[in-house]
Amino acid sequence: MTRVQRLSLALLAMAALGAAGMFLGPDGWFGLDIGPIGSAVLYGAVWLFVIHQAKFAGEVFPEHWSPAEKQSWVALVFMALITLHMVNMLLALPGLGADADQVRNPATRALWLNLGLLIFGWIVIGTQLRKQDGAGIQVDERDLRIQHRAGRVADGTMALFIVWIIVALFALPEQSRTWLRPLIVANALIALLIARTLIENIYTVWRYRRERA
Amino acid sequence: MSEFAVRNHIREFRQSRAELTQAALAEACGVTRQTIIALEAGKYAPSLELAFKLARALGRNLEEVFQYEEKN
Repeated sequence: MTRVQRLSLALLAMAALGAAGMFLGPDGWFGLDIGPIGSAVLYGAVWLFVIHQAKFAGEVFPEHWSPAEKQSWVALVFMALITLHMVNMLLALPGLGADADQVRNPATRALWLNLGLLIFGWIVIGTQLRKQDGAGIQVDERDLRIQHRAGRVADGTMALFIVWIIVALFALPEQSRTWLRPLIVANALIALLIARTLIENIYTVWRYRRERA
Repeated sequence: MSEFAVRNHIREFRQSRAELTQAALAEACGVTRQTIIALEAGKYAPSLELAFKLARALGRNLEEVFQYEEKN
């Protein structure tokens, strides 16, 4: 592993640490609210990674990875962060009381801002990678086959998960379903779609790794 | 029931043509170099179209490059 790749991993570890801090939020660490610090560390690490990737073009990812595999890893990292933000928001919603029934509430406003920043970072890194790989083939039949298989795995997992949710909802006693308000359910469904994409990304990178082994 | 696998001689035929690198073969067939690496390592079975392109780029018949064999 080169020095540039070690630094990339350190930045990713820093981002994971920041994400964990952000997720723990209020009362997360000896009663201290480390949410804002975690968020700052996460976004600091993500932007440092963007700069690092721009500065050391072509050296961040191993040379033997195909362009589509590199893009899959980037997608996995960003989808994991987006899922984390979504779960964080879903956990915050029930605590907002009546505000949770409003389309515009503090939790969703923060989520959209963070999603905007993450998607912007994803586009920047994706564009940089495409430029580095030049005019060569970006995606070929092997990549498409892996992506197709990943899509099927994600769909299958999602179908099982939806069945489990239906059974769980029927099994829940009436008084435990009070948090099931329309806006919370709508957000949970969006989270489910995001989780499906995350599963697809996880399978894709695993498959690339397995085919190399 | 017997299991079959597609085996190939891409590496041997490519190396017999000194100027043909993995990158050059990949470009000639419209795939990434990593796919050629996966094919040579026997980790990937190509589509029929890619198999024909590879055979043509190597200047061989399809059956010289690819064999459909029973797994040991």
